[in-house]
Amino acid sequence: MLAENTTPRAWLAELAGRVRGWLWLTGAAGLLAGLCTVAQMGLLAWLVDQLVTRSRDPAELSPAFGLLLGVLALRAVAQWAQERAGFEAGRRVRERVREQLLDHLVALGPVGLGDRHTAGLGQQWVEQVEALDGYFARFLPQLGLVMALPLVILAVVAWLDWLAALLLLASAPLIPLFMALVGMGAERLNREQFESVTRLAGHFLDRVRGIATLQLFNRAQESTREVYIAADDYRRRSLRTLRLAFLSSAVLEFFASVAIAVVAIYIGFGLLGYIAFGPADSLTLFSGLLILLLAPEFFQPLRTLSQHYHDRAAALGAADGLVALLKEPAEAPFQTATGSREAPFQTATGSREAPRITLRGVTLRHRGRDACLGPFDLSVAPGECVALVGPSGSGKSSLLQLLGGFLAPEGGEATITPRGPAAWMDQRPWLVQGSLADNLRLAAPMADEAALWQALREVRLDGLVAGLPAGLDTPLGERGVGLSGGQAQRLALARVFLAEALLLLLDEPTAGLDADTEAAVIEALQRLMRRGATVVIATHQPALCAAADWVLELTSMDASREAADV
Amino acid sequence: MSERWKVSTSGRDSLVADFRPWLGRLGRRRRRLWLGGALMLLTAAAGIGLLALSGWFITATAVTGALIAAGVAATLEVYVPGGGIRAFAVTRTVARYTERLYNHDTVLRVLADLRADLFAVLVRLDGQALSRLRAAEWLNRLTADIDTLDGLYLRLLAPPVVALLAMLAVVGLLGLMAPPVAWGAGLVLMALWGWLVIGQPAWGMAPGQREVATRDRLRSRMIELLQGLAELRGYGTLAPRREGLAALSRRLYADQRRLASRQGVAQALVGFGVSAAAVLALWLGARAHAAGQIGAATLVMLPLAVLALGEVFGALPGAFTRLGGTRAAARRLNALVATSGRIRPPRDARRLSEVMPALALEGVTLRYPDALTAALDDLSLTLHPGERLALLGASGAGKSSIGQLLTREIDPSTGRVTVDGTDLRQVSLDDLRERIACLTQHSELFQASVADNLRLADPEADEAALWRVLEAVDLAEWARSLPEGLETRVGESGRRVSGGQARRLALARVLLRPADVVILDEPFTGLDEATAARVAARLDTWLAECSVLYLAHDASRLPGVTRALTLSEGHLR
Repeated sequence: MLAENTTPRAWLAELAGRVRGWLWLTGAAGLLAGLCTVAQMGLLAWLVDQLVTRSRDPAELSPAFGLLLGVLALRAVAQWAQERAGFEAGRRVRERVREQLLDHLVALGPVGLGDRHTAGLGQQWVEQVEALDGYFARFLPQLGLVMALPLVILAVVAWLDWLAALLLLASAPLIPLFMALVGMGAERLNREQFESVTRLAGHFLDRVRGIATLQLFNRAQESTREVYIAADDYRRRSLRTLRLAFLSSAVLEFFASVAIAVVAIYIGFGLLGYIAFGPADSLTLFSGLLILLLAPEFFQPLRTLSQHYHDRAAALGAADGLVALLKEPAEAPFQTATGSREAPFQTATGSREAPRITLRGVTLRHRGRDACLGPFDLSVAPGECVALVGPSGSGKSSLLQLLGGFLAPEGGEATITPRGPAAWMDQRPWLVQGSLADNLRLAAPMADEAALWQALREVRLDGLVAGLPAGLDTPLGERGVGLSGGQAQRLALARVFLAEALLLLLDEPTAGLDADTEAAVIEALQRLMRRGATVVIATHQPALCAAADWVLELTSMDASREAADV
Repeated sequence: MSERWKVSTSGRDSLVADFRPWLGRLGRRRRRLWLGGALMLLTAAAGIGLLALSGWFITATAVTGALIAAGVAATLEVYVPGGGIRAFAVTRTVARYTERLYNHDTVLRVLADLRADLFAVLVRLDGQALSRLRAAEWLNRLTADIDTLDGLYLRLLAPPVVALLAMLAVVGLLGLMAPPVAWGAGLVLMALWGWLVIGQPAWGMAPGQREVATRDRLRSRMIELLQGLAELRGYGTLAPRREGLAALSRRLYADQRRLASRQGVAQALVGFGVSAAAVLALWLGARAHAAGQIGAATLVMLPLAVLALGEVFGALPGAFTRLGGTRAAARRLNALVATSGRIRPPRDARRLSEVMPALALEGVTLRYPDALTAALDDLSLTLHPGERLALLGASGAGKSSIGQLLTREIDPSTGRVTVDGTDLRQVSLDDLRERIACLTQHSELFQASVADNLRLADPEADEAALWRVLEAVDLAEWARSLPEGLETRVGESGRRVSGGQARRLALARVLLRPADVVILDEPFTGLDEATAARVAARLDTWLAECSVLYLAHDASRLPGVTRALTLSEGHLR
């Protein structure tokens, strides 16, 4: 979890600190490439000077030509190294952030995640983290190069002709101004673009999501036209922004072009002897041509930076969302009997005895609500089955979450001894994309086929699966597409058998099922109870209550409760 | 849809086939594309001209200056080249600015075309294909894919053409002055261009496509892990699951590393190749100069013109190394367009008679692909005119499928759905949906005002009619309390309405439609008892003139049920 006062910028800076070595390496490779460019231009100008002024034969100069090719090769290697080292910096950051984020989401747990959209979180974990890449791989190293390379070039030009250097320097104080300008332009462009793109994408998705409704109301054609109009409207509005935003880079472009033109004309007139002051009379073809060739290179780092500016904006945007997520406080883990604060049920090495549950004066505070639930006193003997009933909001689910270790008690004492794996199941059976076998093995990765079939038999799914051509290898689509609600629920229940857990926490396991399926689920549950597991069920189905050893009735939002044997 | 969308499904696995529908899309803006390309070319030409002419000028002045210094009476006309240099400098800036603005305008126009065309395809999909669309991660992917293809012109189409033309122009210029120089530099540049545009994509294709696929899988694995956090923590199997995720990430990074490395090679090649071509031009030019074929100033101008090509070539490595990702996006959208799940309106559609129709399922079996069992199994059922039939069953029993069959959102696998004895597949779709109003399981409200959301059902409805239906669902008082009344925006970007309010708004919308048959799928979801009772009572009178099919899991709150049937695992009980 991040400290409350961490800003997105500070977080990015901290991440940059962790890959400082790679950033330096990227910058160094970029600097080497830049120096090679200076050398290349120098050699080129020297060769021209030799060929034209000294009228030397090209064959005599072949060593210099060879050296020039060598410099070009070295620059190519440096450029490749820059790209490669930049990637490494970006990858390390992304890998670390994904790790950190996943740790945090796991620590938040099912309760902490609450009703956040898991699709949104998945999107954040993949795409938003990806969006951090360019900032580290390209922008930050380039920021260093903007400081270093123009100075090197300026020094070389000054050595050749101080007046030409002054001409370039005249625009140098403007560089911070450019940067601010580019920055403002790009930032504004990015922000506004981002907002309107989001709005447009939102509009489009909104219509796509509602297509069935549009069809039913015969609105297909009108809505297609609306989609076009929205996109075209977006175009008109964003062009207004772009007109201004592009100006900043046009100014940069203008100075780069004008610098070349002014330098060229100054040198030309100097060489002709038209300029009677300053160092102009000592200009040669070599120095003049080299200055001309270096003039665009003086501006190049800044132009490259302005191209990478959107990387920065993208990273800042992503960091906003990620930092907010990382700041969310995680629930303190469950206080175990031994006093250790590690999350419960992490190890399956517990004893083969069913656990005893003891709650004494436990109060719970639900996230985002002021009201306190409890105090609850509860004692469940090993192998007992208790049903928690009560209206919604009475704390059935919260109690289960407490027992599952996803919620910490506000006060009181809660112990489960001994600890072992706990099976958890709620009304939405959790299924993953993969085969039936993959889905069963989620609870017991090492289970053999015989064990899988045994588990299917316990929930009476063996007949159905045996009838499938691919059997246990039958693939399920995303979220168990292909199974009916009852089948999915029984498949999740088969997992409970497979896990051989001796603590079962079930939240409304039969909600939304028809009577036949409910009976099948209850029958399977009873077989599990006969194995001696301790079972806690939150439910309002009478049939399920009847299957329990006793029922704990929770009344709405207050402390009173009755325990009654059934 | 139109011919332009024809997607090759013959398994022809060529790059051109994957991009053809999208290139066809761009064809509509042909004039703008050419003009935009011309502007890019003008920018490039001005840049090349600026550097080449400056080099020429400096050398010419140096030579003249040397002559003057040696006491030879030499002159150089400086105003034309000086003016030329200034003109190139200004042209480059102005052309660049205009080009960027103009081409972004084009890209945005293309974006509008693309979205509208794609939507026109989506809006014809059947209920089954649509249910897949509804998944949030699928929608995110769809927008990402469209965004990728929006940039097709600016990243993949224009730059190589501009680079080729600029190169040919420079080589042509060299040819005019010194043919051997043109041959030498031209061959190097042509090889470079060919590698960037043909070799580089081939080299990056496999990792590029894999990278996109791995990213998709990583996202869905992550979503699954988050959904199953409670189970995984309980069973103590979180660690192996996380290890699987980490292994997948490593594969992603490995492919990204390959791409970065190959892109780096391409960038280095551009730097090396263009400069080497310039060096070659200088070498060959020097020999021509020594032989007295070209002057000194021309000798300098040639390599500088080549060197200035670096800028146009620099735009190629990134986009072409990552062509695999763009192709993956194109293929996914192609597959979507080619989706078979499409409702085809009949050729010569029959109109329905004016009287209240009878709807029937006759021996209907409905089987979804990938499903282990049939959703509906040889089911027959009739909704007689004027009756109120309640079809009860647990979730997943197949009730909603029946609603979709009757409105022809889906067609049965076998058997037929009829209206007054006529197969629905022969009835005008517009006519059918005009006569049947259906409240679907999900309350789909749009990001629009309350009034606009209601008027979907009847664009002509006046305000009084809107208030009447709001009254019927017990929302009139709520709407009157809103500062903006009926103009209040709802949906994701607007005012948050509760699940129960959304449900009632959707119900009001259905009531606004003057229909003979009304299908209500779980009309009271999310409503508390008291509200449900009030709405039910008003609904009873409101529906007096229609046949009604209720789909629900219990009949207790449904008003005026005349017959009830129970559906379980695809069979009637």
